[in-house]
Amino acid sequence: MTSLAKSSPMIDSGLALATRGLRKRYGSRLALDGLDLSVPAGVVYGFLGPNGAGKTTTMRVLTGLIHADGGTVQLLGRPYSRRDRHRLFDVGSLVESPAFYPYLSGRDNLRALAASGASTPASRIDEVLEIVGLGERAADAVSRYSLGMKQRLGIAGALLNDPALLLLDEPSNGLDPAGIVAIRETFRHLASIGKTVFVSSHLLAEVQQMADVVGIIAAGRLVREGSMQELLASEGIVRVRVRPDEVAAAAATLARLAAPDRVTPSPTEAGWISIQIAPDRISEVNRSLAEAGIFASGLSSGNDLEELFLTLTGGATSTDPEGTFAGIDPESGRSTSSEVLS
Amino acid sequence: MRLFVSALRKLGPRMATLLTFGLLAGMLVLIDVAVVATRGVGDAGPGRSGNVLALITFPGAYDEILSFILGLGGLFAVIYGAAIAGSEWTWGTLKTAVARGESRSRYLLATFAAIAVVLAIGTLFTAVVGVITAAVGATVAGISLSGIGDRAVIEALPVHFLRGWIAITETAALGFAVATLARSQLAGIGVGIALYFGETFAGLFLPDVVKYLPFHLATAAVGGSTGFAPVPSTSGPVMSTDTALVLVVAWLLAALVVAAGFGERAEITG
Repeated sequence: MTSLAKSSPMIDSGLALATRGLRKRYGSRLALDGLDLSVPAGVVYGFLGPNGAGKTTTMRVLTGLIHADGGTVQLLGRPYSRRDRHRLFDVGSLVESPAFYPYLSGRDNLRALAASGASTPASRIDEVLEIVGLGERAADAVSRYSLGMKQRLGIAGALLNDPALLLLDEPSNGLDPAGIVAIRETFRHLASIGKTVFVSSHLLAEVQQMADVVGIIAAGRLVREGSMQELLASEGIVRVRVRPDEVAAAAATLARLAAPDRVTPSPTEAGWISIQIAPDRISEVNRSLAEAGIFASGLSSGNDLEELFLTLTGGATSTDPEGTFAGIDPESGRSTSSEVLS
Repeated sequence: MRLFVSALRKLGPRMATLLTFGLLAGMLVLIDVAVVATRGVGDAGPGRSGNVLALITFPGAYDEILSFILGLGGLFAVIYGAAIAGSEWTWGTLKTAVARGESRSRYLLATFAAIAVVLAIGTLFTAVVGVITAAVGATVAGISLSGIGDRAVIEALPVHFLRGWIAITETAALGFAVATLARSQLAGIGVGIALYFGETFAGLFLPDVVKYLPFHLATAAVGGSTGFAPVPSTSGPVMSTDTALVLVVAWLLAALVVAAGFGERAEITG
C-alpha cells in the first residue's frame, strides 16, 4: 500500500490533515525525516510507530507546540503553520499526558480550558463530561482522579470545542477495558458523523479494531499508509502444513502464486510454510498444492497488524511460531484465523 | 477578558495563594502577639520599648504594617510569581491552552495580570489583618487608640499602598519571568530566592550598581523604610522615590516582555 498522495506537491482537498516533507531535528537527532501523511476526512486514522519513531513530535508540530524545520502542513483543507493558531480552533487535541490543575475539579479544569482558544458554550462542559463518563465525578479535584479518569478528562478537553479534527496521542493510556471500548465507540461515532479522528497509539490490536486508515511511521518517515482493510488484505498470511519431505516442492508450487521471497518454510516447525498473500486466496493455495499432487494436512489464514508493524518498523518478521496467529476482520471485528484442515 | 477572569478563578483557591498571604498575615499577627507579650521586657535600652511598640501604636502602626508587608512581601511575591508561571510549564497547562489555538503571550500576560490583582487583594487583606491585630494588641497593652483615625496618615495610605503594590508586582514579574525562562516551578522559585538574597549580598560590594536592581529599586520606591527587604545602599547617591518608581515600572515591563517573548518562541516539549 502506498501513501494516498505520496510526495505530491498538490494536496487533495478531501484530506482533513496532510503533511509533506515534514522535518524536525532535536540537536543531532532527526525526529522527523520528510514525513508525508494523508488523512482523509471523516475517518479514524491510526498513527502507529515504535517508541521514538516521531509520533509525539508530529503531534507537537500539528498543534503548534514546536516548529518544524521544513515541510508543509495542511489542516482541514488549508495550509497551516504555527503562526496560524486560529486554525486550531477547529481542532481538539490530547498531546502526551493530559495536563490539568490538580487542585481544581474536573469541571473547573474544563471551564479554565474553555477560556482559551475557541469560544465554547458553558453547556458544552457538562456534555463532554457525560460523553467520557465523568459526570458524577466532575466536582472532585483532579488530584483525586485515577490515571484513567485523567485520561478521560483529557479526551473531554479535546472534545470541548466540538472539533472537526481530533488529534489524540495514546488516548487509551490508563483506561480500563470498559473505558477503552467506550472511547473506541465514541471515536467511531465521531467518524460516522463526519469528524476526523487522528489517533497515535502503540496498542496495535486497539488500532486494528478502531481505525479505518493506518499510517505506520518509523525513524521519522512514513513507511506505510492505507486503508486498514486493504492493508490487512495485502499483508495477509496463509500458512500451510505439508509432509516435511514435500516442503521444497510445495514451496516451489506456491512461489507461482506469490513472489518467491514471500514463501517461507518455517525453520522451527517441520512441514509448515508461510505465504504472504491475501487471506481470501486460501482456497487457491489449497487447489494449487492439490494440482501439484501435494495434499495439505493443515491450512490457516490470517492477517495481523502487529506482524505488519514489526516487519515495517524493523522488528521481528517471522509469523507466530505457535501457528496461532489471528487477525481481526475490519468489517466484522472478528478473528480471521481459520483452520480449514487439521 | 475571559482569559483574565479564568486566570483569577484559578488563582483564588490555589494553595500558593492561600499560603503566601496566610503566611504574611500570620507572621504579622505573631509579631504583634510577641510585641504585646514582651512589652516592658528589657525596657532599659534607650528607646527600645518605644521602637517595638511602634508596631501597635497608631497612627505610626499604619506605616509599620505597610512597611512590613511591602518588605517581606517582595520575597513572597517573587516566589509567588515563579510558582504560578512555573506550574504552567510543569503541569503542562500552557501546552494544553496553546494546542487549543490560544496566543502564548496573551495567555502569559493574562495570567500575570491576574497575579497582580491577587497581589493587590492579598496585600490589602494582610494590611487589614495587621491593623486589626495591632488595634487589639494596643488595647491589650493599654496603649491609646486615639491615633487610629489620624486623617493625615490615613489619607496618605492609598498612595503608599499603591506604590508598594507596584513594587511588589515588579518582584512578582521578576519571578514570573525567571520561571518562564526556566520552564520550571522549582527552578523559578529557587532562582527567584537566590536573586533576592544575592542582590542583598551584592549590595555590600557594588552599591552603585545594585541600587538599580529590581529589589533595591522596589524598596526605594516605597521610601526604603522596610525591615526585611534589601536595604538600599547609603553610600551611593540618593535616589528619589519617584525615580525609583519609574525604574521599578521599567523593570516590571521588561520582565513581562522577556516572559512573553520567550513564551511566544519557546518549543513546548514537556
